[in-house]
Amino acid sequence: MRTPVRKITTAVTAAAALTAAGQACAEIQIGIAGPMTGPVAQYGDMQFSGARMAIEQINETGGVLGEQLVAVEYDDVCDPKQAVTVANRLVNDGVQFVVGHLCSSSTQPASDIYEDEGVLMVTPASTSPEITERGYELVFRTIGLDSMQGPVAANYLASLKPEKVAIVHDKQQYGEGIATAVRDTLQKQGIEVAMFEGITAGDKDFSSLITKLKQANVDYVYYGGYHPELGLILRQARQADLDATFMGPEGVGNKDINTIAGEAAEGLLVTLPPSFDQKEENQELIKAFRDKGEDPSGPFVLTSYAAVQVIARGIEMVDSTNPFEVADALRKGSFETPIGTIEYDKTGDLESFEFVVYEWHSDGSKTPVNQSSR
Amino acid sequence: MQDLLYFSQQLINGLTIGSAYALIAIGYTMVYGIIGMINFAHGEIYMIGAYTALIAITGLATLGIAWLPAVLIVALICAMIVSSAMGWAVERTAYRPVRGRHRLIPLISAIGMSIFLQNYVHLAQGSRNIGFPALVEGGLQFGSGEGFQMSLSYMQITIFITTVICMTALSLFISRSRIGRACRAVSQDLGMANLLGIDTNRIISATFVIGAALAAVAGLLLGMYYGSVDPLFGFIAGLKAFTAAVLGGIGSIPGAMLGGLILGVAESLTSGYLSGEYKDVVSFGLLILILLFKPTGLLGKPEVEKI
Amino acid sequence: MVAQNFGHALFCAMITLIISFPILGFNLEAQGINVTLTGAKTTTIIGVVLASIIVFGFQLFRDAIMGALGTLPRFNPLAGREPMEPSRRVKLESRIITVLVVLFLFWPFMVSRGSVDLATLVLIYIMLALGLNVVVGLAGLLDLGYEAFYAVGAYTFALLSRYFDISFWLALPIGALLAALFGLVLGFPVLRLRGDYLAIVTLGFGEIIRILLNNWTNVTGGPNGIGGIPDPTLFGMEFGRRVKEEGNTSFHETFGIAYSGEHKVIFLYLIALVLAVITAMVIRRLMRMPVGRAWEALREDEIAARSLGLSRTAVKLSAFTIGAFFAGFAGTVFASKQGFISPESFVFLESAIILAIVVLGGMGSQLGVILAAIAVTILPELAREFSEYRMLIFGAAMVLMMVWRPQGLLPMRRIHIKLNRLE
Repeated sequence: MRTPVRKITTAVTAAAALTAAGQACAEIQIGIAGPMTGPVAQYGDMQFSGARMAIEQINETGGVLGEQLVAVEYDDVCDPKQAVTVANRLVNDGVQFVVGHLCSSSTQPASDIYEDEGVLMVTPASTSPEITERGYELVFRTIGLDSMQGPVAANYLASLKPEKVAIVHDKQQYGEGIATAVRDTLQKQGIEVAMFEGITAGDKDFSSLITKLKQANVDYVYYGGYHPELGLILRQARQADLDATFMGPEGVGNKDINTIAGEAAEGLLVTLPPSFDQKEENQELIKAFRDKGEDPSGPFVLTSYAAVQVIARGIEMVDSTNPFEVADALRKGSFETPIGTIEYDKTGDLESFEFVVYEWHSDGSKTPVNQSSR
Repeated sequence: MQDLLYFSQQLINGLTIGSAYALIAIGYTMVYGIIGMINFAHGEIYMIGAYTALIAITGLATLGIAWLPAVLIVALICAMIVSSAMGWAVERTAYRPVRGRHRLIPLISAIGMSIFLQNYVHLAQGSRNIGFPALVEGGLQFGSGEGFQMSLSYMQITIFITTVICMTALSLFISRSRIGRACRAVSQDLGMANLLGIDTNRIISATFVIGAALAAVAGLLLGMYYGSVDPLFGFIAGLKAFTAAVLGGIGSIPGAMLGGLILGVAESLTSGYLSGEYKDVVSFGLLILILLFKPTGLLGKPEVEKI
Repeated sequence: MVAQNFGHALFCAMITLIISFPILGFNLEAQGINVTLTGAKTTTIIGVVLASIIVFGFQLFRDAIMGALGTLPRFNPLAGREPMEPSRRVKLESRIITVLVVLFLFWPFMVSRGSVDLATLVLIYIMLALGLNVVVGLAGLLDLGYEAFYAVGAYTFALLSRYFDISFWLALPIGALLAALFGLVLGFPVLRLRGDYLAIVTLGFGEIIRILLNNWTNVTGGPNGIGGIPDPTLFGMEFGRRVKEEGNTSFHETFGIAYSGEHKVIFLYLIALVLAVITAMVIRRLMRMPVGRAWEALREDEIAARSLGLSRTAVKLSAFTIGAFFAGFAGTVFASKQGFISPESFVFLESAIILAIVVLGGMGSQLGVILAAIAVTILPELAREFSEYRMLIFGAAMVLMMVWRPQGLLPMRRIHIKLNRLE
């Protein structure tokens, strides 16, 4: 299976790893790269708190291979340009395992560098399919893909027998990706997509869009994007008496949408990973977060926790810190994590990642809806 | 009939946003008219106005005061005071020391100020979008029970009326009051006005304060109309308002009004009939087109090249 | 005197309190589904009050303080000296640039990979700033949409490599020429606009380009951007771990040395260095040619320049086109450095930063612009510890520089005679 080139590269990396190990003795560095500042810093906080907690807990139980894990944190501001700088610095610092990045547009250019330089990367948040489509060896994730989430939403919508569905997205990688997946699945099922339109992220006035939705007389609207815009759309739609049910991906499913949309958030449908923080077996971990004064309910907290765990377990399995060997181990193994059992396919995607449809309420709570299809 | 209703609805949407743009554009146009600089930080002042109003509203709610007119008036006054103070302070610290230097110097200073203020609010209040309570709800409905119904919300009516009041008050102020006359004199010829005993520094400060106060009004109105605030939303609105000011002819107050309305309607109709993705392309394209045929904007005075 | 200032000082202190207390003193927080207002920490409030007191004190004793500052000896050791002979100055400047280039040449072999990567970014900004310097500094045309040409260069390379497999070396001139063409096409209609109208139109143009790139998903990938942009090759040798393209060999195998990721980074850096030197030299020559003099003449006095027979359109267009050309250059390098580009790398802030570099460096002065590009790119990296306050400090620094040293780090000087006016 191994080509000669692979052998050479493995040897070279091993040599590089040895020299790196000489520098940082008896410690395994885990890089955490994500936005600490900038407009999406709140999601970055989730990533950092999850990964830090995992490193802390692993160290408490004796570390990995008898060595302690050390977190090295990098701020990429979710800016592709800074992500490349961060990736280079990370390689520079001799880090061989990275939990990150958060935004798909940062993960993609950074992963080019990691792959070339033999750094194993596990992103806990980037859902763009393109990241793992390129046949890279060292790129993994602990989250589902847009192309997994879209069909779940679309199948649910189809099961409601809608007459007309409109799809709106925010013209960003994440939003448009999911919206396209939803549209394709709906069309396959023979449901009319009356509108497929982009808005500008950061915009605040959606009155024209809502008027258009009213005119088109749609009964369901799927929105691909994040909560700030959908919150405003919901609220302004209510003001304008638009009678339609909205649905969105996990990027809209946090309590901030309630502070913006108020009453209008009632009845919103959201596809989310099952709430890991509600699971029976995670309660101890959840308590540990609460004791530290951190909020474990964000969508990326436990995926980041799992990312660190997977890396640590992989290192233990092969008894080496060579990223290529660890990557092989990850593809073979199966890992118990707070987000369920993780198994990887050839591309580095999860074999399965479940999404559940929830109904959102105006008090910020959510209830799972019974799914007839799937 | 259906199409007409749809068209009027989009027109109303556009006019609402347009009149708010106009309120912000006044700040740009007055400052430009007097000292010939683009006050890039004006959008941030509008954002700070919206934040202050929200803080005041939330504070009153915590105190248990819920009588709507009182809440609105207190919020408006707070926002106007803070924004005006901000406008004054910005002029004093960042613009006055560089006045009269090369055209680019105040511009860079203004861009720096804009970045500074954005991050100031970001650090103090976080980067999240914060919901603005809906205080004025409900509206009027037009059209038959079947099919498309046109709605005119009370909030939209409030925005129209407030804008008209502000604009009338401003016009009266500029044309009748002493300070207003001094403003006009300064914008005609700063040096001459100075010789005639007008304290030009005070007049310039006054224009910043007036512009900032109007931006605060827009901040409160749009905050309620849209439904959320974040530290970055001033920049986009500022850019649009500036475009409106240039469109109408920078330096001219009726021009700012006209430019704001045209821009708002153009955006709304583009989203309504084409696609929302292209509304910024259309508004900037419109600007370029108008400037090509009328290089000083719709109502701007043609510039005479002095030798 | 103190009594006179009292009223003003009190007013200033009040203003300080008004602008800082509501925003800093109260925090809007989303508690569950409600927005609540909480008072800030006591230290913040003490800070706000302290700031007001300082402002009050400063304004009260302002004359005394300013007087005291005025009598302090100047820290600038060059202040007292006569300005240098222009010819010597020019020589010195070219010598400094030569030393800089040599230093830059050996730099990558001494430092770590991260620093080389950062230095590449610095060189890209140097190219951009030198290009914009032609438009703004020399020709005096205020261009706020410069990132559009940068984007054109980057996207040209990305698209050519994606659809036609064209390599970096071929794409470099194509990207630059295409950017220049865009400059020409945009420049033609807008050049009759003056001053600030030109500024807003270019700003609008920059936004339009970005939005179109974002919306034209079929071709440009829209918000997904374009990935997999190839690295430059050296005579068909690739620097990656594995050879990606048929017919190429890999650098480390050809020379029989161990693979190291640093080779690629250093190679890219050297390309950027060579291109930056070319940019600087070409512009330096242009500045001394008639067209360069014409740019400056037009900047100083348009009417006088036209009466002397200069064609306004031709001169302005040439400046615009040449500026755009070098932005295209920089864009191509940027695309191959990143390997992935998306419209969000070409926002207005990028233009503002490049403009800030030009102004900070001293408009028109090449050495100044180079130093400013280094400062503006590296300082935020060094200030990573204050990462939260980075942009705040950047904004404040821009304002303070304009107030204290508006002529920039190294202002450009020409031989001129000053007539002393009688007061």
